[in-house]
Amino acid sequence: MNKKSKALSNVFMICVIVWLLLPLAATLVYSLFRNWTEIVPKGFSFNSYITIFSNPRFISALYQTVLLCIIPIIITIIVVLLALFVVTVYFPKLEKYVQLLCMIPYTIQGVILSVSILSVYGKAGGFFGNRMVMLIGAYCIIILPHIYQGIRNSMHAVNMNMLIEAAEMLGASRLYAFFRVIVPNIITGITVSSLLAVGILFGDYVIIRNLSSGGTINMQIYLYQAMKRSTDESSAVIVVIMLLTFAITALVLYLQSKSKLEKIQKEGR
Amino acid sequence: MKNIVAAEKKKTTNKYLYLFAFLPFVILVLLYELVPLFMLIIDSFGSDADSSILFTLENYKKIFTTVGYQKSITNSLKITFISTLVGMIVAFLGAKSAHTSRGKCRSIFMTVLNMTSNFAGVPLAFAYMILLGNFGVITQIANLYGIEFIQNFDLYSSKGLILMYIYFQIPLSTLLLIPAFNGVRREWQEANMLLGGRESTFWFKVGIPVLLPSIFGTISVLFANALCAYATAYALLMNNFKLLPLDISASFTGDIASKPKFGAALSVVMMVIMCAVILIDNYIVKKTTTWKTR
Repeated sequence: MNKKSKALSNVFMICVIVWLLLPLAATLVYSLFRNWTEIVPKGFSFNSYITIFSNPRFISALYQTVLLCIIPIIITIIVVLLALFVVTVYFPKLEKYVQLLCMIPYTIQGVILSVSILSVYGKAGGFFGNRMVMLIGAYCIIILPHIYQGIRNSMHAVNMNMLIEAAEMLGASRLYAFFRVIVPNIITGITVSSLLAVGILFGDYVIIRNLSSGGTINMQIYLYQAMKRSTDESSAVIVVIMLLTFAITALVLYLQSKSKLEKIQKEGR
Repeated sequence: MKNIVAAEKKKTTNKYLYLFAFLPFVILVLLYELVPLFMLIIDSFGSDADSSILFTLENYKKIFTTVGYQKSITNSLKITFISTLVGMIVAFLGAKSAHTSRGKCRSIFMTVLNMTSNFAGVPLAFAYMILLGNFGVITQIANLYGIEFIQNFDLYSSKGLILMYIYFQIPLSTLLLIPAFNGVRREWQEANMLLGGRESTFWFKVGIPVLLPSIFGTISVLFANALCAYATAYALLMNNFKLLPLDISASFTGDIASKPKFGAALSVVMMVIMCAVILIDNYIVKKTTTWKTR
């Protein structure tokens, strides 16, 4: 590798970095200054942050977003864990169907999924007609591919069948072996994939817009409404959203590097 | 002997007992994935005006003969194609750069890609309005110094959408392509150099052919990502632009009158486009990986 191509690579990467960070930086500056009509912004203040954090609607949106992330993720993890346990241990032939079912949401994505659920259950009464139930159902499906891939990959990585056989030889039942041996071994993989799912649900706008009746709002809906009111307020909301997503991303990267480190240490021993 | 048979029998019944653990998955997928999709396809052959008609192609006929809906399909395809193409080119060069360089620059690059991979939808549209909207910062600067091509740039059009779509395609595509570059061995590059080949010869004759399966795999992800994107376009233009996802959503939750059967047909058209792209992609991947098994 010669020096020239290395320098060229660095220049290209810096260009992409600048292009990607420009909108973020602009939003940050915008949220911190009252007046930005010329090149140099004027009037530094934290007012817009004080405004949003003293607004009960914003706090409630924040709270609902967190709730709407956690419930579907827990449901999906349990459902996929159980299904993958049964399929890999007892019915390996079913595996390809499970995979197909888990990959369909990749291609239909939010718009079609939300309108199809709306048209089936929108007019139904009772439990299925409840907007919250519809929303959680849709969220479970939209994160299904990510949770499935995360769990399956980590199951392959720990060589699940061998571990279960070993536990069985030592007298444990398969179910016990699965939850006491396999699950603790793949917990990092599960955490990483659920954090990625948090990122997706955090950024969802279309599903909640189509399925919620208006009472339930998340940060994205709040942001959209704030955009109509004031640009200062909405830029502050974006900064809050971005800080939360960065925290999640940082956690994912940290966990991934930690599990890699553990692997290296184990192999080195 | 009898005991063994009984034990064997017990084991098989136990095995089917475990299907109960499989049940939650089946219920979830059935209720919120398969039934809604199936009903959507059935609905697309119904009629909004007369609910007694069970099978008609009227909706599809309307989609392909109305200028407005034709415009939606072509707009969607145009924006998706351009943003995917540009996203792929930048991703290729970016992943290649990350592969060549191993310094601090690379780790910052990776962090920024991860950071921005979730920056799409309403926040992205807002950020671009701050930058390039009617009173945006860059627009103001351009007015001040008379930079014409920025002054003439209209964010609230397909051009603006393409710019934003390219923005959210870049982190995703680059992150997907970087692992593939580990398959391009340094030894091959060195062998090429020793035999007197240029760098461009290497990439066109060896590098890109090796990477083709990953490139096409990434293309289908990008295509889906752009074709189905809703929030970015809606936040920027609301329903004042002809785009498939906007039309679909509007026909279910529209302000005027909802046309769920027609919306179902539009959704089916979008799914067919998606499936066609995936099938073509898979075909090309199959064709381009035959050298591995040869």
